[in-house]
Amino acid sequence: MENQATISEFDSILASRGVSRRSFLKLCGAIAAAAGLSQLAVPRVAQALEQSVIGATRGDLYPVIWIEGASCTGCTESFAQIESPDAATIVLEIISLNYSETLSAAAGHSMEEAKAQTIEAGNYILVYEGAVATAWNGNALRVAMEPGVDALVQAAKSANAVVALGSCAVNGGWCAAYPNPSQSMGVQQYLQQAGVDTVVVNIPGCPANPEWLMAVLVDVVLLNDPTLLDLNTMNEPVGIFGQTIHDNCERRGHFENGEFVYHFGSEEEKKGYCLYPVGCRGPQTRANCGIVLYNDRWSWCVKSGAPCIGCCEANPANPNQNWVQVNTPFYHRHRDIRIGDWTVPPVGIALTVTGIIAACLVVHGFGMKAFGRMDGGAPIEKIRKWDAEHPDEAIGQYDDIQEAIEEEEKQTERLKNGGGR
Amino acid sequence: MARSTIDPVTRIEGHLRIEMEVNDGVVSDAWVSGGCFRGMELVVQNRTPEDAAQIVERICGVCPISHAHASSIAGERAYGITISNNARIIRNILEGAQFLHSNILWFYNLAGLDYINPLNGLNANPDEVYALAQSAGTSTNTDFKALLDKLTAFANNGQLSIFSGNWFASDNGQGYKLTPEMDLLCTAHYLEALKYQAMASRMSAIIGGKMPHVMTSTVGGTMFVPTEQKLDDLLAIAREIYTWVSTTMLQDTLALAPFYSDVMKFGKGCGRYVAWGVFDGPGWPYGGDYMQQMINRYLPMGVLNESFQVSNVQEDLITEYMGHSWYVGDGTYTSPYFVTEPDYTDYNVDDRYTWVKCPAYDGKPMEAGSMARIFAAYQRRVPFIVEQVNQMATALGGEAGDLSVFQSTLGRTAIRQIETLYVSALVVDWVEELMEAVASGDSTYFTDPMTTTGAGTGFWEAPRGALYHSEAVEGGKITGYQIIIPSTWNLAPINAAGEHGPMEQALIGVPVEDLEMPINALRTVHSFDPCTACAVHITEPATGRHFETVTSPWGVK
Repeated sequence: MENQATISEFDSILASRGVSRRSFLKLCGAIAAAAGLSQLAVPRVAQALEQSVIGATRGDLYPVIWIEGASCTGCTESFAQIESPDAATIVLEIISLNYSETLSAAAGHSMEEAKAQTIEAGNYILVYEGAVATAWNGNALRVAMEPGVDALVQAAKSANAVVALGSCAVNGGWCAAYPNPSQSMGVQQYLQQAGVDTVVVNIPGCPANPEWLMAVLVDVVLLNDPTLLDLNTMNEPVGIFGQTIHDNCERRGHFENGEFVYHFGSEEEKKGYCLYPVGCRGPQTRANCGIVLYNDRWSWCVKSGAPCIGCCEANPANPNQNWVQVNTPFYHRHRDIRIGDWTVPPVGIALTVTGIIAACLVVHGFGMKAFGRMDGGAPIEKIRKWDAEHPDEAIGQYDDIQEAIEEEEKQTERLKNGGGR
Repeated sequence: MARSTIDPVTRIEGHLRIEMEVNDGVVSDAWVSGGCFRGMELVVQNRTPEDAAQIVERICGVCPISHAHASSIAGERAYGITISNNARIIRNILEGAQFLHSNILWFYNLAGLDYINPLNGLNANPDEVYALAQSAGTSTNTDFKALLDKLTAFANNGQLSIFSGNWFASDNGQGYKLTPEMDLLCTAHYLEALKYQAMASRMSAIIGGKMPHVMTSTVGGTMFVPTEQKLDDLLAIAREIYTWVSTTMLQDTLALAPFYSDVMKFGKGCGRYVAWGVFDGPGWPYGGDYMQQMINRYLPMGVLNESFQVSNVQEDLITEYMGHSWYVGDGTYTSPYFVTEPDYTDYNVDDRYTWVKCPAYDGKPMEAGSMARIFAAYQRRVPFIVEQVNQMATALGGEAGDLSVFQSTLGRTAIRQIETLYVSALVVDWVEELMEAVASGDSTYFTDPMTTTGAGTGFWEAPRGALYHSEAVEGGKITGYQIIIPSTWNLAPINAAGEHGPMEQALIGVPVEDLEMPINALRTVHSFDPCTACAVHITEPATGRHFETVTSPWGVK
């Protein structure tokens, strides 16, 4: 165990950096929540962090290169707002941020040198923010007289893992919205085309929640093998993007009571009613925003009175399925409702008040969970009970209704046998 | 004769390259190149103005709120909406929170490292730092001894993190001039600033859901309806920020300035200024008169010529030229009918060298930014600004009433703290104003459109300067959208008459001792707080090219 610090060594390292045990556990708690773990997992996170090599026997901080592609710097900004731990603690005490176009003291060639040295030394994480703009052979983005795409490939090749941070990095984001003038795409797709096989972890969001990034960084550092990360088919961390906004929404109770906001700035908004009729994409967008919140957990979109506009919607394999393209117009119409792996178009439901409530009830039937909503939650119902019993009159579309019924039965069986998840 | 370049310029938003010709240690020619193209205006075509307000704010993660507001104003003017008084106050608070966030972050965390060397702070005696802070009248919220221990542990670890490849040794070790004590004091405030800029964003989050990219400001007003708890939270945060700003920022500026008096000798720029004004004033809506609304803003609209004479903005005097940028042709187009088509050729400073277009007002390059706003407010006789500017002018060795003392790299850097102080006090006032309005029963936050066809322009300010959004809407769908961003003014390339853009002009004459680390050039660039992500944008070619809508009512699958 030579490469592992003992707990007492770790404590003294913490002490030497002025980090109290208490604030360290607070950090662990934040990471656990952001990663979708129960607070009961805090001691495990703490133990794992203590036994890792961050800042331990090697005296090393984990090197991070943070490259901005065709970005708005919003994800960096978002990162700068993090409080537990604060950004200063992270860049001075947890990671060694060797290249950041926004925060680095260096400039020009000195910056590029710092990056080159880090790449040569290897064993670092690359965080890439912004879209990969490919127009004009990558010259839509030029850094240090090079097309931006070349910088991405160079840095990604030797990285332990690439974190595609924010919806732009995942699949082009708004930059890829029609007509995609800069021919933007996501990091994963570009690296695939370029033949780079470094693991890409996708963290969508506009901006991505900084606590999600911290959770992923800690995971990468802890596991020391990014291929062991628990990712879904879109390479997103399961704990963060496993459930919909709607599943964990603070206004969900009002949805179920049929209490809605129909007009912005209304008395209903003051009461905190459900925003579904003004276009909320909560039922179809997967992320744990409502649990982690933004800006030191002060608020999030729905809390402030704004419907979710689905900014975490990003198919890494297809820039056309970016969140702007999929979700505009934001406030007027409802698109297909996503339940688990199914999408349900609210067919024939007019844009009237009663129609909207009817639509909500459809969602309600699909969205209910067997057990609670937090801590990973129970598996989503594969098929609404009524639909299973009346396959010919089912509201909504299933890829294969028979298959769904069988799957649902199998799952019920598993639950009965105490298998749980 | 030699070339010196900075590429990439760091501690800014976006991608920027500076190339300079240096003769006998002084910059004799300069070219500024914006490195990234994304094409925002094309993306909002055929979408709704409400969608546009959400999408265009994503042009920049540092000043998204300003874009959301300028876009909302454009939409409101197209739709014939006058927003309610409550919506006006709420948007002022939200915009103010962003100004505080942005100004604090810029001064300490972005521009600050051009003047402050945290590693030199390792040599400080903490007791003397207290004495220094007291004599400078600045705040002492940090335990300097603990900070020194923390820095020492960091330095002993050997990894430099964000200080990797720093320029602290530039100009043969003479580039950074602060004493170790002053460096430690400023490092303490650098770290405190990280905390307070985040605190300012909490206000944005309370009103807008999250920052960056707030969710509630929209065409018609705001979706945010304050509750008592939210108002209490806003007031507590606003007061805490005001306390820190008012006891720290101007004091630090004046303590730092004497060490860098050389930096007052260069960096003037073009000497003409545009400010479209920001923070709509009390007495709203002035009978719906847009010009009066802009003049009555807390930071009023004003166009200033070489002798600081102020005039009102005239939209058709704004033009754009693209002969030196990566777009087709070399035409000059008049607002709001810009026509451009992107086309990357090659980086060649004698021909085309940037993604940034070249805007002009009445045919001339203009500087935008905090200094422009403060000059406009001074000339419009805003009492607080007049008093503070006169005091600072005297403190910097000039005379009260003489604005020319600020026309330099350091002056531009210093004057912004007056704005930060002004806005931090106003935000407290506005929260109290909103509390009174709500208590008196005022409950309108959102106003529906009168029509869904029209055209409108939002003249507004981002922290970095004059911001212009203009749109034409037909049946609720955008048919044309134009944006002119503050940094487009400042980073403009050479115009049709061969005249350099404002930042290029400011760079010419800057002393460069060290071609590898031209620190004074970097200081000059940062004094503008450039933000290139949004500076680069294009507009719809008027070629009859038509964008089909790809959205079916029930989605794209």
